[in-house]
Amino acid sequence: MVATISEQNSVSVAKELAIKIEHLNFYFGTGELRKQVLFDISLDLPKGQIVILTGPSGSGKTTLLTLLGALRTLHEGSLQVLGKEIVGLPDKALIPIRRNIGFIFQAHNLFESLSASQNVETSVELTRNIGEKRQLAVDMLGQLGLSDRVDYKPNALSGGQKQRVAIARAMVNRPKIILADEPTAALDKASGRDVVTLMRHFCEEAGTTVLMVTHDNRILDVADRIINLVDGRLESDSDLETQTSRIS
Amino acid sequence: MNFTFLKRVPLAWLNLTHDRKRFVTSLGGVAFAVLLMFVFTGFMNALYDSQIQLLTKLNGEVIVINRLKNNMFVPASFARRRLYQVRAFEGVADAYPFYISEGAWKNPETGQSFSVRTLAFNLGDPVLSLPAVNEYIAELQLPNAALIDTRVRPEIGPTEAGIVSELADRRIRIVGTFELGTDFASGNGNLVMSDVNFLRYFADRGPEEDTRSFATADLGVVKLKPGATVEKVVAALQQALPADVLVLPRDGPDGFVTRERLYWQENTNIGFVFTLLTTMSFFVGIILVYQILYTDVADHWAEYATLKAMGYSNAYLLGVVLQEAGFLSVLGFLPGFAVSYLLYNAAAAATGLFFQMTSERVVNLFVATFVMCLVSGVVAVRKVQSTDPAEVFGG
Ligand SMILES: Nc1ncnc2c1ncn2[C@@H]1O[C@H](COP(=O)(O)OP(=O)(O)OP(=O)(O)O)[C@@H](O)[C@H]1O
Ligand SMILES: [Mg+2]
Repeated sequence: MVATISEQNSVSVAKELAIKIEHLNFYFGTGELRKQVLFDISLDLPKGQIVILTGPSGSGKTTLLTLLGALRTLHEGSLQVLGKEIVGLPDKALIPIRRNIGFIFQAHNLFESLSASQNVETSVELTRNIGEKRQLAVDMLGQLGLSDRVDYKPNALSGGQKQRVAIARAMVNRPKIILADEPTAALDKASGRDVVTLMRHFCEEAGTTVLMVTHDNRILDVADRIINLVDGRLESDSDLETQTSRIS
Repeated sequence: MNFTFLKRVPLAWLNLTHDRKRFVTSLGGVAFAVLLMFVFTGFMNALYDSQIQLLTKLNGEVIVINRLKNNMFVPASFARRRLYQVRAFEGVADAYPFYISEGAWKNPETGQSFSVRTLAFNLGDPVLSLPAVNEYIAELQLPNAALIDTRVRPEIGPTEAGIVSELADRRIRIVGTFELGTDFASGNGNLVMSDVNFLRYFADRGPEEDTRSFATADLGVVKLKPGATVEKVVAALQQALPADVLVLPRDGPDGFVTRERLYWQENTNIGFVFTLLTTMSFFVGIILVYQILYTDVADHWAEYATLKAMGYSNAYLLGVVLQEAGFLSVLGFLPGFAVSYLLYNAAAAATGLFFQMTSERVVNLFVATFVMCLVSGVVAVRKVQSTDPAEVFGG
């Protein structure tokens, strides 16, 4: 058994990639107003890796995240998400790809009218697993330390709790990829730390690939790898796994 | 069939009702538009329906009138001997003369005079299908006795047996009441009396007024024998009688009742004005509901965009907004309908007009309300569709 797994590991590296980017360019606007935002990006994200993306404001971090999340149509270069090429796909074809990806935003974006559990259930409903949705949502919230808050509406929760509900919503379907844009920006230091630690814990366990944009230097240590983007170009890419060996 | 949608989180309902105050205001807005539509269509229908109230109570299948009387407002009468001729025709059971005249009624409390319409007939003839009138035949035999319509306009004064007042400057005593209602030709209300009493008041009212006698009648009400065909009798009568009279069936598309209704529809602006007002209310409703739905979309822009980023299609979001529109139409219609119902009763009491809330009219207005909300929903939804899921990033 062990032998087969390691064999696979060494044989097909390409299969192990969650995201593969080659020579990707991206522009905003058309005609005269056309402005290139991302320049010739090539990047491989292996499965299970936790990557932090940093860079100055306006460097294109959020834009890159929306591309990886299949939120925009693409025309130049190559972008494979979980083995599927998405450059050239029309908007409609992107919808099913999004269902494999969990998104976490700076704002929690929870429906005020729905309880914590119902907000998470909207995500489960996408998988048609309607019968078990309540159970799955409650379990997920429980694992994030919110078992006594499942039926609270968002405005009865603290900022950190709301962000944890948003994380539960993103992770409840066990997506292969999590994309997070400054998830701790609206939180104080302690709750920001908690949220990131929880995310790391779950993703490690489930083998989820995480790409997280952050300006918060205090949480860089959760990453396996740090990528720096400047003016739409990859500036540096440091793999921390090689330096600090991690037990896995 | 797949009923999984029943177990879905009822996002539309929860979004709509989350803010109670706003929800109640929204329903109030829809209810108000519904109320406006009910009021305007109500007045329009009441004005038309009222014109034919008396006509539908005439107890005969065929009506004879002066050819010049193209609506009830025209005081043209015809020679009563025509009705004797009519009685001789095959299929005719009887032909009753019916007398109508305007006269000044003095309000017994204020002493002010108002015009009312007097309806009269031979007490032996069953001319009117008004049970109340037939109960008072004995009392109506008395000189100067009359029945008063309980649905006269308030200016007329109290309407009950025992009231003594003046009609055309002569004493009159009310011996009972009946229920009919006002129309354009009736002035402020109706009185019913015997033909003998009718002559007491209207035979000779002075040089400026028409003199009335039994030589002329205003309407001829022709009762057919069982089994007689209305069309045949009408054709035969019209063929044989001189052209100064017109013979019409009472009912049917070419009948006397429909003719009267059409006259008012074609010769007044009622239809145009009230249809315009109703249409305006409809559009006010569309704008109101659009505002409500658009506010929901705008306030939850980031959340809806998040749903799209999670992998929900536009169709799901369309569904949410259209469901909200559906809830608003049903829940807004109910209070609007209830208030309109009360208002119809109040308006009927105040004007003497005939306000009818028929199930057909209620269903029509509900459909209008539903369409109103749906149109708003579709317009608001175009906003949601344009939601760019990439916009949620970047806060
Ligand atoms: N919708 C858009 N239309 C046109 N230009 C845009 C749009 N969104 C972003 N840009 C531009 O693209 C560039 C990259 O923006 P992006 O939001 O990706 O930066 P960022 O690295 O996330 O910055 P920050 O750290 O401030 O969030 C900026 O110059 C920005 O002005
Ligand atoms: Mg950004």
